[in-house]
Amino acid sequence: MTETKPQVALAVRNLNFYYGQNHALHDISIDFPARKVTAMIGPSGCGKSTLLRIFNRMYDLYPGQRATGEVLFDGRNILETGLDLNILRARIGMVFQKPTPFPMSIYDNIAFGVRLHERLNKADMDARVQDVLTRVALWNEVRDRLNAPAAGLSGGQQQRLCIARSIATRPEVLLLDEPTSALDPISTARIEELLDELKEEFTIAIVTHNMQQAARCADQVAFFYMGRLIEVDTADRIFTNPRQQQTQDYITGRFG
Amino acid sequence: MTLAPARQPDKVSVPETREKRSRADTAFQAIVGGCSLIVLIALGGLVLLMGVGGQEAFRTFGLGFTFRNVWNPVANDYGAWAPLFGTIVSTLIGVLIAMPLAFGTAFWLTAIAPPKVAAVVGTAVQLLAAVPSIIFGMWGFFTIVPFMARHVQPFMMHNFRHVPGINLLIHGAPFGTGLMTAGIVLAMMIAPFMTAVMRDVFSAMPGMLRESAYGLGATRWDVMWKVVVPWSRTGMIGATVLGMGRALGETMAVTFVIGNVTSVGWSLFAPRSTVASLIALQFPESPAGSLRLSSLLALGFILMLLSFASLSLARMLRKDRK
Repeated sequence: MTETKPQVALAVRNLNFYYGQNHALHDISIDFPARKVTAMIGPSGCGKSTLLRIFNRMYDLYPGQRATGEVLFDGRNILETGLDLNILRARIGMVFQKPTPFPMSIYDNIAFGVRLHERLNKADMDARVQDVLTRVALWNEVRDRLNAPAAGLSGGQQQRLCIARSIATRPEVLLLDEPTSALDPISTARIEELLDELKEEFTIAIVTHNMQQAARCADQVAFFYMGRLIEVDTADRIFTNPRQQQTQDYITGRFG
Repeated sequence: MTLAPARQPDKVSVPETREKRSRADTAFQAIVGGCSLIVLIALGGLVLLMGVGGQEAFRTFGLGFTFRNVWNPVANDYGAWAPLFGTIVSTLIGVLIAMPLAFGTAFWLTAIAPPKVAAVVGTAVQLLAAVPSIIFGMWGFFTIVPFMARHVQPFMMHNFRHVPGINLLIHGAPFGTGLMTAGIVLAMMIAPFMTAVMRDVFSAMPGMLRESAYGLGATRWDVMWKVVVPWSRTGMIGATVLGMGRALGETMAVTFVIGNVTSVGWSLFAPRSTVASLIALQFPESPAGSLRLSSLLALGFILMLLSFASLSLARMLRKDRK
């Protein structure tokens, strides 16, 4: 039976999260199937970005934020203390709401993350840079100016560069926090196409406010409301026949 | 056309209020324009005062006045090199010490310290930046000078006396006063100020950019050197130049600890003087119209040029970004 079931990349069990005294996530349990796209939807402040930031322990940067429960990744609870965060973050990459190119060249933006974890010679690094830029469909646009500052790219190009930068460290999971919210429709469409290709290799968790985007890209959709997971199911079921009234109300635009 | 006479009263009253408003607008423009004019007049006046006042010195000694190493009131023979040298070297020492100090504190405050601790330390930094320079001067005189005289210089002499190069820098009797002491006091004075500016620069950096770097598995060190520093380069240069500007013109704190001897030499532990300290000390005893007073004004003129030069240097460094 295990063959027919999709393998689980991230398994969340009874997860609670606190911003100081504020209880932001209540008893979340959800599986992220490997090499599938899971979209997280819900009104602002419902906890979806918070969940995403638990997976790479980003909350560790901020004192007063803590999580209880379990998040199993590769058989290990990533909430454990003593876990090597730098290795975890290389294996679980993240892309943000706005493009965040580093103040360096296009080439170095990609090489930055790789150099943190691997020692590659020049030829191997060149190959890696070309490989990831090709996969985000940016290679042809930037091949002649790899040494130009990344800040000179357009917003959509910058965001694809950021995705390329994240996959350059060869992660298993890719976290995307509203990756297209700052982009125009054409750039958005390109990123969505890209997700479709990337899911063959990566497990993708995407937070989005855009219902169409969730419907287009996701295999599984999770609806969050007020820090609770209301419903999780295949995209088809969530958008055509949700079990919960709240989900129905949200996707039809009656609140949120 | 028949409607025209009926509208006449309106037509008269509307332009009247408009005229009133435009007059108020003109007055406002004149006032703010006048404010900016005062800036220009003040700047021009300062340059003129120093330039004209120092004219006699420049006429007597030529433009070489700047690089003449002599300050002899008895023989009425003056040159700017000794105080200029003291100013430049003590400022450089101060900036060199203050820069890493300010950078480290600012980075720790923004990236590592718990917010509550950072708030307390941050306030302390601002308080320290607000301490008048005379306090630093007294602290330097009563604490640093004896410490340098009793411990630092004897230690250096004992260990490095025979090392070529270094022996020149530490040569001399252990007075405790001198360029090094002045540099340390200046560093303590400008570091809090530079820290405050750098802290603002660092916290202006988008949190998402920082998180992106951490998100790739970077350590704090990587994030600092490869992302924060390049991103805030401009601001850091600005902070350093502001600190340098303060150090260049600092008078009181330096006068207390530099020893006030108008000479030039390699030793960082020998008493020297700076432009500002020399002017402050000798101004009261220079009679109006004397060559000595003119020389002091010429010194002021040169100091101003030095400040302008450091400002334009900062501009240049900022422009060649990328």
